[in-house]
Amino acid sequence: MSYEVMVGNKAAATAVKLAKVQVASAFPITPQTTITQYLSEMYAAGEWDFDFVNVEGELTSQVVVQAASKVGARTFTCTSGPGLLYMHHPMQVTGSSRLPVVMAVVHRGYKGMQPDHSDLMSQQWTGWGHQYVEHAQEILDSLLMAYKVAEDARVRIPIAVGYDGYVLSYTAEPVEIPDQGGVDKWLPPYKPMPSVLPDEVDPTTFSRGWGGGDPQMPWKIHHEAVLKIEDVLKETMDSFEKTFGRRYGNGMIEPYKMEDAECAIIAMGTIAGTCKAAVDKMQKEGKKVGLIKLRSYIPFPVKDFQEWAKKLDGFAVVDRSICPGKGGPVFGKLRGSLYDLEEKPVTLQFHAGLGGKEVRVHDFEMIGDKILKAAKGGTVEQVTWI
Amino acid sequence: MIEIRLHGRGGQGAVTASRIIATAAYEEGKYSQAIPMYGTERRGAPLTAFVRIDDVRVRERELVHNPEISIVLDPLIAKQQAVVDSLKPGGLVLLNTAYPPEEVKIGGDFKVATVDATTIALETLGRPITNTAILGAFAKITGLLKVESLEKAIKKFFPGRLGDMNIAAVKRSYDEVKGPIQAVVKDAPPEKVDIHVGGYGVLKDVSSWRVYTPEIDVEKCIGCKNCWIFCPETAIQWDEEKNKPWIRYDACKGCGVCANECPVNAIEMVRVEV
Repeated sequence: MSYEVMVGNKAAATAVKLAKVQVASAFPITPQTTITQYLSEMYAAGEWDFDFVNVEGELTSQVVVQAASKVGARTFTCTSGPGLLYMHHPMQVTGSSRLPVVMAVVHRGYKGMQPDHSDLMSQQWTGWGHQYVEHAQEILDSLLMAYKVAEDARVRIPIAVGYDGYVLSYTAEPVEIPDQGGVDKWLPPYKPMPSVLPDEVDPTTFSRGWGGGDPQMPWKIHHEAVLKIEDVLKETMDSFEKTFGRRYGNGMIEPYKMEDAECAIIAMGTIAGTCKAAVDKMQKEGKKVGLIKLRSYIPFPVKDFQEWAKKLDGFAVVDRSICPGKGGPVFGKLRGSLYDLEEKPVTLQFHAGLGGKEVRVHDFEMIGDKILKAAKGGTVEQVTWI
Repeated sequence: MIEIRLHGRGGQGAVTASRIIATAAYEEGKYSQAIPMYGTERRGAPLTAFVRIDDVRVRERELVHNPEISIVLDPLIAKQQAVVDSLKPGGLVLLNTAYPPEEVKIGGDFKVATVDATTIALETLGRPITNTAILGAFAKITGLLKVESLEKAIKKFFPGRLGDMNIAAVKRSYDEVKGPIQAVVKDAPPEKVDIHVGGYGVLKDVSSWRVYTPEIDVEKCIGCKNCWIFCPETAIQWDEEKNKPWIRYDACKGCGVCANECPVNAIEMVRVEV
């Protein structure tokens, strides 16, 4: 094992190298561009051999990795914000075709270039696994795990790993780099199935027109496959920890200092790191609030939150994206998950970090105070814009 | 946790300096984080970067708002009071300037050290890239890093001969830094230029970008409007009555396009006094 103080984008490129990706394709867009620059530097230095396909846009880059994956290559692509929107159509096909493509999404907002989660959130219907990570080490580790999960015979679903542009893509911090030998053993070369589709599907077709005449059947199979990510991700997190000595909760969520907590703040991405610093401060002051970092938005950790809900009095959900007219996606999904419980904790919605707005430690202290007050029956407005 | 802010111009290597500090700190068993404040920065524009050093993994992702230490890589920016904005009381500022700390004009409750990093860079690297030429001084006055750790880190960023030249710059700045002393000026001077310009536009003051300032000789001007047409920032305004240009200096970044386009050389680019 070695280490390097590297930026988030280099951590992503390093994971791609360690996974021995065979075909990569991407179109440059800030803040993703330097991933491909690091990849070309590694290629030029002879660190490993792969094909990088230059394309004229993101739509094509997605089609390239899709085609390469269909013929049995381990693939990688990456993009940001508007580039991801331009990929929207072929992403559906990658999902429908059950191809284990892994993509890094370096978050860039739509209203300005600074990061929020609107880009990846707008791809909810594409049938991918969606994960959000906090720091450079977690980028490297999560991309490696994404290959393991995506290629698992039970899953075979593409996975997007999102992390905040600028604030993480360009921030340098120490990253432990696992040895190539260890990664090779843990993540063996991709062995494609005879058909890219599950056994129950006619092997002569790639994605459409199958389902035994029932046009709804492909959706059902697809939905169930994405849900299987939950168990496989949890298993993968265990084996990752056994091999490399690091873990991020159970893979779906990462609770932080929740042992004595009465309320939890739910946050994703880099701001979850800032929230950890706030939780340390608040618990020193005797405030019983912790953090549940949400790592997997799709599939959503419904069972995990139901378990936590039985122990807690309140959830403060911090959404870094919004569907205008509908609200924060995590807030809605969390409340849906708790509906079946007899006793439901109080839930508050916070909109923060949109358009790249800085979220500070004292913002999370305010969030903590509000949810503690609400959990004790105090009157607090349900929706707050930080 | 120690928080550091770096000020420089695009091209001087402030971001690289922040990463070298972070790498050297990790060499010494500390955790670190180097954050560039990226907007639409480019060569010549003032930019800011931050470093955090701590005994545990740094989790905070907000920018550094109250640094203990401010490092200034550019001699013109070093004249701006803004480099000590929101510095913690009793903090430390390290300036790239030829003047000794006793003659520094910025004021407040902080310690100040100076080093002529531009000269050191020119003499060791042959170019005014001042990032490594200030790091030796930083190591000496703060005691946060050993020079050996800086050398190790620099070799990771600049292999071979370039690394040796940069290490020579570090050693010279270690030897030549003056101070720190308590700032001589006690009260902050009132005039301020905003040096935290992330991106720019018609409403933002970009005067701190200038190394050269255009000056118009209206006697020579023939009123052809070439400068007015070509100015990329619409900093050149037209006086219709006199049929002569005037310059909105807060919008002028000193690019020199106007002087280049003037057919009668009526515009001169004058070096801003250091």
